[in-house]
Amino acid sequence: MSGIIEVRNLSFGYTAKSVVLKDICFAVPSGTFLAIVGPNGAGKSTLLNLMSGALKPRSGIITIDAAPIESYSAQRLAAKVAVVRQESVPIFGFSVAETVLMARTPYFGAAGFESQADRDIVKAALELTDTAAFASRPLTSLSSGERQRVFIARALAQNSPILLLDEPTSFLDLKHQVGIYDLLKAAQLEKGKTIVAVTHDINLACQYCDEALLLGTDNFHRHGPANEVLSAEQIKDVFDVQIFAGRVGQERFLMPLGRLAKDNRQINAKTGEFST
Amino acid sequence: MRVEAMNQLLRPKKLIVTTGLALGVLIIVMVACSLIGSEDISLRAALSNSGVAPGANPDHEILVRVRLPRIILACLVGAALACSGVVFQALLRNPLADPYILGISSGAGLGAIIAVVGGLNWTLWGRSPVAVFAFAGALGTVWLVWFIGRLTGKFHTTGLLLAGVVVNAFFSAVIMFLTSIAKSEQVYSTIFWLMGNMAEEDFLVLWIGAGCVIGGIAALFFISPQLNALSFGAEDAKSMGVNIVKTRTTAFAIAAGITAIAVSLSGLIGFVGLVVPHAVRLVFGSDHRLTVPLSGIIGAIFLVVADTLARTIIAPAQLPVGVVTAIVGGPVFLVLLVKHSRKIGWLK
Repeated sequence: MSGIIEVRNLSFGYTAKSVVLKDICFAVPSGTFLAIVGPNGAGKSTLLNLMSGALKPRSGIITIDAAPIESYSAQRLAAKVAVVRQESVPIFGFSVAETVLMARTPYFGAAGFESQADRDIVKAALELTDTAAFASRPLTSLSSGERQRVFIARALAQNSPILLLDEPTSFLDLKHQVGIYDLLKAAQLEKGKTIVAVTHDINLACQYCDEALLLGTDNFHRHGPANEVLSAEQIKDVFDVQIFAGRVGQERFLMPLGRLAKDNRQINAKTGEFST
Repeated sequence: MRVEAMNQLLRPKKLIVTTGLALGVLIIVMVACSLIGSEDISLRAALSNSGVAPGANPDHEILVRVRLPRIILACLVGAALACSGVVFQALLRNPLADPYILGISSGAGLGAIIAVVGGLNWTLWGRSPVAVFAFAGALGTVWLVWFIGRLTGKFHTTGLLLAGVVVNAFFSAVIMFLTSIAKSEQVYSTIFWLMGNMAEEDFLVLWIGAGCVIGGIAALFFISPQLNALSFGAEDAKSMGVNIVKTRTTAFAIAAGITAIAVSLSGLIGFVGLVVPHAVRLVFGSDHRLTVPLSGIIGAIFLVVADTLARTIIAPAQLPVGVVTAIVGGPVFLVLLVKHSRKIGWLK
């Protein structure tokens, strides 16, 4: 197993007794798109925070480019890994361009100003994310979808090979959800980025991701190709919910069905198939 | 494709021109205010015979020995308070933060009142015990709050703020206790000090203070890009590659240090450190590369004008300058707030 990110025997808990993650092992090959999926409380965001160096593992090791994550300084780690967190808004009103430019902060000259190269990188990130049109507007005047693109632009402007995202589409409507995933997929395919996204949207993960890591609340984890890991049976077990599985062309989709849902009784509890 | 917004980013030229203009205004204000006072003096008369024997040129004596030292002091204190206000607001990610929020005011006040009640009357390098104790009290308290804040979690801003509030409340209670047992003339001088008051200072003290404050502001300017990133929170700043421990420690130490100098020179002058940073942000935007130097200069202008009012409005008597800063600063800030409120984020 080898990859640009490697996680070996990782365990973590917030207090001495709690175990959020136990013996997690997986590797993310360079240039792949990994979805981290699992129910609330399974430790998805915790895992992402460990992979970004914001938290320290209790045991086990995470390597980025074969070097342990603790061996990186903040600046060197930022050159490898960029992070998009859920909705973070500054207290003061920065414009979109100012926000994206902050990704270049470690490279500013002694007088505190960016170089022409930095400006070109920022411009490219603005254009790739379709945020150039409103780049002079203050961040606070944007919709959530626009703001999420700005934070992805800022992450891209770090020019790092790895992009970590924590629920990038959680507050977005259908069009913007698809827009964000298209944007990420384009960054993967055109720029060769390695992308790791925590998500609740299993269908988008099936459509866009190469690999998936499924985390359960009982320290269960499984890693592999997205279409194998995100199977109806496994999702049903891990999320403890009835699932209807369907297929349209190449795309698989999974639909949860609650106890009182109209079609609940017509779904085969084992295979997730529809029967009349 | 051209991206228009790229041209609106801060360029070195804009920074230099803007700060240069602000400095020009500051110098004009200083000269104008040095000519205003209970005695009418003329600049020409004051400068014409500057080399003559002491006492021969009263205009010169008043300008150099009375007005200038006080105006320079007002510059120093105004610049220090406004700059450290900017920094504390960014570090604590709280628009209500000011230089006194982490207990500097009560610590300095406690130091001052201990010196007064203790009846100390020695001097240290020409400084009164009140100033020395206030300085020590200010720095000691900030260190205490920082230490308690660290115990609540590494750079947890809420913990730090709460520690500041609690220490402030505790020391204020001690101040009230000492005031209630003090003699009445001691109480009067303490209250005057607590209101914030300017007096003529030695040039030596002024030059040392100026060196520290200007050096501090320059150092803050060099970490201002990191302060921008920190406005998004420590985690975001860290993942953008900012060394947050170094940035926060440096910014905190410098802001606390220049505030302690200001407080030991002139007592507790309120409002400058809260209002000037916001006024600057409302007009010039949030980029700390601009707000740090501009807040310093505009804070200096503001306090020079306020102090000139304080010493002329009921001349020959004088008001504590803290009264003027609040009475003048409040309405000015409200006008700015209403006019430009669309520009800043925290109002949403």
